[in-house]
Amino acid sequence: MDLLEVENLSVSFYRPEGEIEAVKNVSFSLGEGEILAVMGETGCGKSVLCKSILKLLPDIAKIKTGHIIVRGEDIIGYSEKQMRKLRGSLFSMVFQNPMTALNPCMSVGEQIVEAVRLRQPGLSGRERQQRASELMYLVGLSHPEERAKQYPFQLSGGMAQRCVIAIALAAQPLVLFADEATTALDVTVQAQILDLFLELRKKTGMSIVLVTHNPGVAARTADRVALMKDGELTGIGDVEEIFEEIMHQQNFI
Amino acid sequence: MRKLCISKILYNMGKFALRVFALSVLVFLISRLAPGDPLYAYYGERVEKMSVADQEQARERLGLHEPLFTQYARWLQAAFHGDFGISYQYKTDVKEVIAARIGNTLVLGGLGFLLIFVFALGLGLFCAWREDRTADRIICRIGTVTSCVPEFWLSLLFLLVFAVWLDWLPGSGAYSVGEEGNVADRAAHLILPLAVVVLGHLWYYAFQVRNRLLEEVRADYVLLARMKGLSGRQVLFRHCLRGALPSYLSMMAVALPHILGGTYVVETVFSYPGIGTLAYESARYQDYNILMVVSLLTGTLVIFCNLLAGIVSGRIDPRMRIQNGAGGGEVRNF
Repeated sequence: MDLLEVENLSVSFYRPEGEIEAVKNVSFSLGEGEILAVMGETGCGKSVLCKSILKLLPDIAKIKTGHIIVRGEDIIGYSEKQMRKLRGSLFSMVFQNPMTALNPCMSVGEQIVEAVRLRQPGLSGRERQQRASELMYLVGLSHPEERAKQYPFQLSGGMAQRCVIAIALAAQPLVLFADEATTALDVTVQAQILDLFLELRKKTGMSIVLVTHNPGVAARTADRVALMKDGELTGIGDVEEIFEEIMHQQNFI
Repeated sequence: MRKLCISKILYNMGKFALRVFALSVLVFLISRLAPGDPLYAYYGERVEKMSVADQEQARERLGLHEPLFTQYARWLQAAFHGDFGISYQYKTDVKEVIAARIGNTLVLGGLGFLLIFVFALGLGLFCAWREDRTADRIICRIGTVTSCVPEFWLSLLFLLVFAVWLDWLPGSGAYSVGEEGNVADRAAHLILPLAVVVLGHLWYYAFQVRNRLLEEVRADYVLLARMKGLSGRQVLFRHCLRGALPSYLSMMAVALPHILGGTYVVETVFSYPGIGTLAYESARYQDYNILMVVSLLTGTLVIFCNLLAGIVSGRIDPRMRIQNGAGGGEVRNF
């Protein structure tokens, strides 16, 4: 049984101008410990796909049809309260721009500790700090104690993204959604962050859904690639297969 | 580090003194250059029966015949020794006249400010939380109406309804005759003017809070906070409020003199014996010395609160605090 199965998922935005179909009839599955790259041009519905699985869509967007099955249980009818539990534990997400994803008015330590507290309410204050330091160490931040006192604007993009990843890991997720997680970073930092994802998968055994429009990122990191175009899933398969196909069609980006 | 702090305090104090000085020159010139005769304040109707020579003599006695510059220099010199002259209208020391009334204004304006401060924040939070739901929409509509109704009209309406028709509350003064020390009586006199002061200002600030919070709610970091498993309300209180608070506090610091001084109209309608009615009368009768002190008091408060606002927002917002060198983790980025 796969960890996550998405069946015939359709999502629409209802705007005054009319209905916009952002995701059309998408089905795929994700195995345990697998890295799946969702690849496609900007605006093809990659992000909406992730956010609809997490039910973090704005109010004007509705899931029309489909099933989202996590370990055999359909979560499509879950209430906001039930989803909140899933978000803090089963799923987690890393966002495109690390500089705006962190709250500018809270130290990064506070923000990581908050995530730890929500996932493990039983821990004492000291244990939480300890756990936050471990997480920061895990994502490759040196001097965690001093670093924790800093505010996001004092960090570089790469370090801020590591902090965001530490927050995501505090949830001890089974599936990590990385929504263009390396797009805003420069190339060397991109490579470091991608290596970090590979390393984290090895250490924690979590699955990663890597949303990107960069074929290089997909080829370097993913086990399988799903191609999206205009809200539809046009192909899914092993990296070699898909890139072979792309070479023939020359239709990417 | 310490030296830096002291020089900064000295700099701020110097700036403060300079501003107050400029203000006093301005108020002095404007009040003296305005048309009208201060002798009216002193003698009332009797001025018209006085001969020209008598009038000249009176002017000389009050020091009104000298050139403006000399008058100002005299006033400044006396003011430095704590002597602000006499009130032409009340014929007593300005300080006494003001001291008798300032407490009333401080109670009305101070209480009004406190209520506005608390309720604006609460109302703004509530509306931001229920954005575009029925409750938020209703409050927004009502708020727009109350903040657009002029204070004097609202005062009159309240007087008519609660003091005249229903006769629930007293409609004028700060206390009933002979009940000066009675707290309950004073409180009863305070309700109507206080209600007008609060209603007149509340929505303006609540709306600012609401909009500022809605800006925060749309920020990217909210998504990450939701991702941690926080509910919308928790994100609002734990994350967004923190971002909106510095600007709210500095806005309210600037609003303090505005609300304290904004009681003028209300005081006049309710015949409430405060600084507001005094300022109004002194401007009307050219009672220069009172006008000077009242304007300076209000102005000094404005200048002081602006300084305070800068300091407050600098201390709360980490981005400003750390750039000012007041602390934070000293880790080099490598």
